[in-house]
Amino acid sequence: MRSLWLLTKKNLKLLVRSRSSALVVFFAPLFIILLLGLSYNSTSKYGLNIGIYAPSFTSDVESLIGSLQEQEFKIIKYETSVDDCVKDIKAGLVHACVSVPESLSVDSNKQKEVSFYVDPSKINLVGVIQDTLNEKFNLKSQELSKELSGSLLSAVSDTKSKLDEQGTQLSSAKEKSAAASSAAQEINQQLDALDLTLPASTYNPQLIADFKTSASPKIKSGLSEIKDAMNAVEASELEEKSAILSSLDQVEEKLKSIDLLVNGAAVSGNTTNITNSSNVSTTTSSNFLSALTLLEEELLNSKVKLTAAATAVGSTSSSLSATTQNLQESVSALDTAQQKVTEMKASLDAQKVTDANVLSAPLITKIERVGQESSYLNYMFPALLVLIVMFSSLLLGTTLVMMEKNSPAFFRNYFLPLRKGTFVISTYFTTLVIILVQVLVILAVSAAFLKGNLLQLLPVAGVLLLSSSVFSFIGMGIGYSFKSEETGTLASISTGSLLLFVSGVVLPIETISPFIRSVTSFNPFVISESVIREVFLFNAGIAEVWPELATLAGYTLGLFAIILVAEYLVHKHFISGFMKHRHLKHRQQEKRDKNNV
Amino acid sequence: MKLIELRDVGKKFGNNGILSDVNITIEEGDILGIIGRSGSGKTTLLNLIAGFLEPTAGEVLHSFNVTDTPKSLHRNLHKIKDQIGYAPQHNSFYPKLTVMENLLHFGQLYHLPKSTLQNNIKGLLQATALAAHQNKLAEHLSGGMQKRLDIACSLVHKPRILVLDEPTADLDPMLQKDIMSFLAQANKQGVTLVIASHHLNLMEKVCNKIAIVHNGKVHSNGLMADIQKPYLRDNFTISLNPGNNKERFISMLKTLPVDKIIDRQQRLIIHPKNITKTITGLLTMIQDEKLYLHDLDIRLPSLDEIFETITQEKE
Repeated sequence: MRSLWLLTKKNLKLLVRSRSSALVVFFAPLFIILLLGLSYNSTSKYGLNIGIYAPSFTSDVESLIGSLQEQEFKIIKYETSVDDCVKDIKAGLVHACVSVPESLSVDSNKQKEVSFYVDPSKINLVGVIQDTLNEKFNLKSQELSKELSGSLLSAVSDTKSKLDEQGTQLSSAKEKSAAASSAAQEINQQLDALDLTLPASTYNPQLIADFKTSASPKIKSGLSEIKDAMNAVEASELEEKSAILSSLDQVEEKLKSIDLLVNGAAVSGNTTNITNSSNVSTTTSSNFLSALTLLEEELLNSKVKLTAAATAVGSTSSSLSATTQNLQESVSALDTAQQKVTEMKASLDAQKVTDANVLSAPLITKIERVGQESSYLNYMFPALLVLIVMFSSLLLGTTLVMMEKNSPAFFRNYFLPLRKGTFVISTYFTTLVIILVQVLVILAVSAAFLKGNLLQLLPVAGVLLLSSSVFSFIGMGIGYSFKSEETGTLASISTGSLLLFVSGVVLPIETISPFIRSVTSFNPFVISESVIREVFLFNAGIAEVWPELATLAGYTLGLFAIILVAEYLVHKHFISGFMKHRHLKHRQQEKRDKNNV
Repeated sequence: MKLIELRDVGKKFGNNGILSDVNITIEEGDILGIIGRSGSGKTTLLNLIAGFLEPTAGEVLHSFNVTDTPKSLHRNLHKIKDQIGYAPQHNSFYPKLTVMENLLHFGQLYHLPKSTLQNNIKGLLQATALAAHQNKLAEHLSGGMQKRLDIACSLVHKPRILVLDEPTADLDPMLQKDIMSFLAQANKQGVTLVIASHHLNLMEKVCNKIAIVHNGKVHSNGLMADIQKPYLRDNFTISLNPGNNKERFISMLKTLPVDKIIDRQQRLIIHPKNITKTITGLLTMIQDEKLYLHDLDIRLPSLDEIFETITQEKE
């Protein structure tokens, strides 16, 4: 047990006394915990940038934007086209786009469609975005559904109260119509009781026709003879001519009266005059008179009947007046009822949404994926590539520098007629050559699994080499900073893990605190992954990704400069450290020798 | 012709003074031996001569280009790196490369023409007897071969001056001799050598100039004969057998005209007032007393003795 403790104590002492080991073993976890604490100790939910496209930003849309902002989403408005927003998704500026209609209020039996555009390659974010946005839109949809149902129910309720109100009036109209019906029945019975049959005709109309046939030519002949006589008188030179003419005129007048009586049908005239006015045959005339008598009798019968009818009509008249009154009131009640029904219809017609589907879900959401439909390997591919390149470059950079530093030949390098940068660049090139081979192998193997986009592998390889440069220099920096190869390797792996951890590949970067998020946006892993995703998945060209490429190139140059300084410092440190160490050892030896003596 | 000159050179690391007031001149064709105890400042001095360190006091000047005035070696090192070779105490080559690959690698970095490099390598392989092992990995060579390879790597570009730090350390006496003879051969071919070593007897044989470094100062510096001069004849040494009574000898010597007797275990270094009288008196007494001596040394002082004398005097 004691031995175990002694060995453990010795190990701990060695660890603490080796500064680099102590740094990695004790301070690295503290640093990581501090960083993670700062990163994830945040109450804010998500730092997502959501692009909203709407033909016009009405109050509805603004209200929706307001509710999304409450969720701490950063909203970016797009007014021209949803394509601009999609372009920004590809560029990584926006996490999702929402295309909303001009107004969210539903005014027909057609559901309003809201489209989400998400980048499926950001697998760990897609779910979060969809869930959160869906939740918001479902709430809005429920709100609209409630509003529509409320409006519909209010119309139904209004109709009901109107129907209740009209029920009384219709009952009254019904009663009045029933009274009118029974009154009309009574009148009917009374009218049925009236004897309106024509008296059987007993006169012979032929007699009158015969009379007219025989009398008429004689009258005409008489009138003609009178005319002739008057003409003859006129032509004569008689003294009594005028008296004769006057008499003839009178005769003519009388004949004409008879003619009128016979042919003019003025039967109601004085029958005596008719009888006396011509020389109609007595038979005919008597027949004619008897006919008239019969006619008179029949007229008297008719008169009696008409009087009875008039009495009956007189008695039904009051009933009819009452019935008319009732019917008028019924008509009026029905008019009112009709008006109300029209109103109710108008009210129901005003409900434009009647489809149950629309009522239950006025808003429907649709997910549109940005870019080509690909397999999950394709989506993960950029991150996987950068992951491999990052760890390979970091470890290679560190190992190569460590190898050279710990090589027996390190000292001789100082006497070679070479610039310090030459060694740095040679280490970088060595890393690059190995990474190039690795990248080519990985891409060749991947080509067998990947769908499409194979042409994009060439620019991807270029971007990977640029990324590799950044990570190689970081690895080399670690190599220059640490003494032993083990601690250097451990530091490389820790650095790689840290860069990976805050890259958004493991946990969504959007969930960390805004400050750390803004810092991690400079993470070369994030930049490299973003460029490769844009190039590989969205076929982006140089023009679209040049800012990221410039940043990576800037990192490369900056790190190269730092490494040169590190190399210079290591040189100085190496010499003075080497000499100091030597003299310290000699002094200690001398002291020990003296003590021994 | 002066190649390198150190004028009042001092070197400190922080507040720790390592060297001070060093004045050394290295001429073309010299084999300068730097001797001193561990921690005396030998390696620092070598690094100053090689331009690896910059002095904190004085100056280290080089005159590689005869037409130019002497210039600071450290500041102009980048221009004259091809004129200097350095073989540090520990081997400085790539163990995972073969002998030939190591030589080619370092040679090519000096931008020599291919034929020149090939000739240099060929010559070095023969001189170091590594030709048969040229395709072996360096790590598979014996200690002596590795040291020779290390020196060969330092000579592959044919420098005018080669600085060697303890080239014979950790080698057996045979290998030490081999290395020294190889270095002497290189010197004959025109390479000026600056060697720091503990092996004083080897240094005495090979070097034409010696600098003795002790406690950060160069106490003796120059040609071997010049160094021996101050220690020439004011003393002689007697070596005793283990059975001899040392105290008896010391008491006998004290009756003679001597200034000082230095006790070195089985050896006594005697500084007489009159060397002839003292030796004669001592020999008479030995004869009378029927004593025996292992050795009586009245030859020139060895480097070892000079070094010991100096270091003891300065302490």
